[in-house]
Amino acid sequence: MTDYFQNSEVVSLPDIIKVEFTKIDKNYFKVILINFFLIFNFLFVGLILLDKFTFTEEITAYSIYIYASFTSFFGFIFLFLYFSFSKRMYVLRDKDISYKAGLFTKTITTVPFSRIQHVEIDEKPFSRIFNLASISVYTAGDSSDDLEIKGINKEKALQIKEFISTKIDE
Amino acid sequence: MNNLFDFSTFSRQSTKGILVIYIAHLYKFLKLTWILVFLMVKDFTKITTKVDALYIYAGIAFFLLFFLVRTYFIFKNFQFKIENEHFILKQGILKKTNTAIPFHRIQNINFKQNIVQQIIGVFEVSIETAGSSTTEISIKALSLQKATALKEVISKNTKLSEEEVVEEQQTKPLVRIGVKELFKVSLTENHLQNLLLFFAIVIGLLQQLQQVTDSLGKTEVIDGFIEENTNAISASIFLIIILLLLLTVVALVSSFVRVFLVHFNLTAYLKEDAFEINQGLFTKKSIILKKQKIQNITISTNPLKRLIGISFITFKQAVSGKLNNKKKDKLIRIVGCKKEQVEIIKASLFEPSEVENNEKKLPENYYKRRIFIFTFLFLIASYTIAYLIFSNLEIFYSTIVVIPIVVFLILKKVKKRFYKISDEMLLVGKGLLETHVTYLEIFKVQNIKIQQTIFQKRSNVADLILQTASGKIKIPCIDFKEAIKIYNHTLYKVETSQTSWM
Repeated sequence: MTDYFQNSEVVSLPDIIKVEFTKIDKNYFKVILINFFLIFNFLFVGLILLDKFTFTEEITAYSIYIYASFTSFFGFIFLFLYFSFSKRMYVLRDKDISYKAGLFTKTITTVPFSRIQHVEIDEKPFSRIFNLASISVYTAGDSSDDLEIKGINKEKALQIKEFISTKIDE
Repeated sequence: MNNLFDFSTFSRQSTKGILVIYIAHLYKFLKLTWILVFLMVKDFTKITTKVDALYIYAGIAFFLLFFLVRTYFIFKNFQFKIENEHFILKQGILKKTNTAIPFHRIQNINFKQNIVQQIIGVFEVSIETAGSSTTEISIKALSLQKATALKEVISKNTKLSEEEVVEEQQTKPLVRIGVKELFKVSLTENHLQNLLLFFAIVIGLLQQLQQVTDSLGKTEVIDGFIEENTNAISASIFLIIILLLLLTVVALVSSFVRVFLVHFNLTAYLKEDAFEINQGLFTKKSIILKKQKIQNITISTNPLKRLIGISFITFKQAVSGKLNNKKKDKLIRIVGCKKEQVEIIKASLFEPSEVENNEKKLPENYYKRRIFIFTFLFLIASYTIAYLIFSNLEIFYSTIVVIPIVVFLILKKVKKRFYKISDEMLLVGKGLLETHVTYLEIFKVQNIKIQQTIFQKRSNVADLILQTASGKIKIPCIDFKEAIKIYNHTLYKVETSQTSWM
């Protein structure tokens, strides 16, 4: 036997910071927009009804301010959604899956394939219009903090699921 | 030895089990309706004037008989056997369920004995799995021989040769806590916590009582009672002192009761691949804890306990779903461990020396700043609210006492935060008055998260959250580069490890 057993020291580990992340599907922003405007309109109608029927004289004097603060509040939420959207990114490596998100609070989560219990693909009604799906992976223990990537092209999501499934079985 | 009992065909519980199940049923029924029963007994004469007493007796007799019949059928239909390394259970009267649990999924086999079971001499055997919470089986009544035989078949079905070693070690337990030691343990418990627990129970009972009396229109009596007392208290400082003394006594007593109930006659044995822990006063519990299933351990102590040189160890196992109160019972503790015993337990689970000798790393200064800012914001907010409610400037005098205490506690908390990392293990220390040190083997991590707010980015620090099968472990506010290094290292360890995490 001329071959020696080789187990050289690992000098540098793969670095999560240097990995290139993929952005989620642009169409998902439309889904976010639809959801946003549904809630906005619903509350706005509610506010108008309140204004018309239950507000007393004293409050009606300030109604312009109420409307202004209401709209600016939602305006800020809209800006937040817009800017945080481009921060949602994911990456699949050979042995794990990672998701990065957050505008003010940045988070990176990584789940190794060897710890995944099962993978799930969800299609919400609005997402289906744009052929989008969300993929969730579950590990043992407290499942609320596992990884969910919303807004991936459906075919791609199925591919990822297949990929992970084969990796789990290894 | 195991041939005494044949588990390959279906067998039932010990016939005495009927009694155990019957009493358990009655107890459950009484627990649900105790207020009703209490009221009925109290106003028995009043009710009997309206309804014939005979009907009441007949009703009680009917219930008793109904439960007896039900119990009999439950007993009759409860059958179990072992087949192909699976534990198979058939149960149910109308809705039949058939459960099969593969041996490798079984996490624990515990023996329990409540008072009834102790009197008639049977054991309750519960089989815990790490899967969904519904697949938890308890066999209410088995004789000691049959129970041990069953346990042996399941836990040692492959390695029968180990038995001798086990028997030998059984004679000298690793930890034995006698009454005297237990007394010390209870004296040094976290009394404040026990007091709160006690109040939670009392308030729970009061609410239950109030709900019923509400519906009967008797609230004025209780409200009046409380009001009278509160007036009296505000009138006299003397009463306050008595109340404080009373609270101290209640805290002490509740500590004692809790510790003695749960940990009475605690003995722990160290076995080849498991720990065996026996404890309990009224409900005796015997727990088999497989080493492999332990996700991490925490060694805790407090200043009082340190003075007499004891600490307690909490073992955390894999749980499914969110950690709620019910599952917290699953945490297994050995109280009153001496230093040598702690060392033995640690050494039997992993190699603690390398990580312990490593350099102690503290969170960045940002951590202290963050706690100070948040606490003082909270203080300012609560003082503002208090001022708005009472509109009395005198409440601000209390800051003289409150602020030094708060500052002291925060400094304590910050001082206790540290972590040590080696190639294989992570050690995280935290605590306020108590000190908790958690040992985690890195490959048991399930997923990992790094979190950084924009404020943290300015100071170049980040929070690291390691998710294990038994809950989160957080390392707050460490240098961002360091956090990334641990992140990469953990992933490397998890992804290259061949050892099963459970």
